[in-house]
Amino acid sequence: MDDRIPVDPDTLRTWMVDYITSVLDLPPETVLPGLKFNEYGLDSVEAVVMAGVLEEEFGVPVDPILLFEHPSIDEFVQARATPGGAAMTVAPDPA
Amino acid sequence: MSGVRNPAVSLVVASYEMARVLPRTLRSLLPPYQRDLDPDMVEIIVVDNGSSVLPDTGSFESLGAVIRLISVAHPTPSPVAAVNAGIAAARANLIGVWIDGARLASPGLVGACLKAATLHQRPVIATVNYQLGPTRQYLSAQNGYGPGIEDALLDSIGWPDDDGYRLFDIATCEVRGGPTGAMLESNALFLPRDLWQELGGYDPAFVEPGGGMVNPDTLIRACGLPDVQLIRILGEGTFHQYHGGLSTSTADGAMQVLQQGSRVYLQRRGKPLVPVRAQGWHFDGRRRVRLDAQLLADGGQACPAA
Repeated sequence: MDDRIPVDPDTLRTWMVDYITSVLDLPPETVLPGLKFNEYGLDSVEAVVMAGVLEEEFGVPVDPILLFEHPSIDEFVQARATPGGAAMTVAPDPA
Repeated sequence: MSGVRNPAVSLVVASYEMARVLPRTLRSLLPPYQRDLDPDMVEIIVVDNGSSVLPDTGSFESLGAVIRLISVAHPTPSPVAAVNAGIAAARANLIGVWIDGARLASPGLVGACLKAATLHQRPVIATVNYQLGPTRQYLSAQNGYGPGIEDALLDSIGWPDDDGYRLFDIATCEVRGGPTGAMLESNALFLPRDLWQELGGYDPAFVEPGGGMVNPDTLIRACGLPDVQLIRILGEGTFHQYHGGLSTSTADGAMQVLQQGSRVYLQRRGKPLVPVRAQGWHFDGRRRVRLDAQLLADGGQACPAA
């Protein structure tokens, strides 16, 4: 069973940037997808929380360990997005 | 009805099957271990949530303390009803809640919260969580940490008879960024009675075992009340004793509780679970003074032994 997140890389990348921007209250231009999560100040607790929110948003299981194994937006998107998957307009609710 | 007539502070302690750890917790909340307090200033309400054997609180009478014991009539996996029953029974104007009765207090914590409560009309007083042991307990348990090692650790610092602040020497801060970092929850959380009522206590919707994310939710909601002032107590703390709790015993368990809890929180609140980053006021619990931002920037004096 393919448990990748069923959206294309751009959609997932945009979602993650928006999410991190929202929960950390950062200017969007500072959330660069190549930076490690902890470089924004997103700690391990918040990474696990984000895994839960990803599950809710996209309807697939997301093992939080994946966020530690792929600890940047770009790395996670490359590992878990679905090339050719749906392009969606999604945005997390503001914190 | 027994108890202290006009307590200055009520401490609500929820307990379930904590025969090993609860007596130490209660000892840590009472004078003479708690400094600058008379026994008649403190009301302790232990709310048992269905333990097979009720806690023996009578053994603390020798300390001049009166501990009220409430047994929840219909225990549930979530401690929310137990906590709310304790809040409802509390008589003091300031009420501190231990949703997890396994947490020791440092020696000045209660007095510090009492003093901090005088600084604002609507204070939300958050204390910092620590865990006994070399790292977070869900990790140290993988290397054999458990009750025996923990007992030896406490013995090694002469707890409770020697300097109680040495708890900081044998513990790990739960807050990733240290005592002024993003705070997911506070145990213990102190609010005036009126604010607890305004908040509606802990939200009964959190029916999950252990309450799920009810403790973070309570802190977040309290900080969101109008015109409140968050006050972080630094230099004091609560210290989690290992007791096989859902979120502190194994790494998988901790992660599952948090991940599942974050989903439930999102469903319930319609927004992601976000730790409290607001600094609020910093209160040096040991010197009993409010710290200003410049003092903190000049050398981290906020938490001298942490």
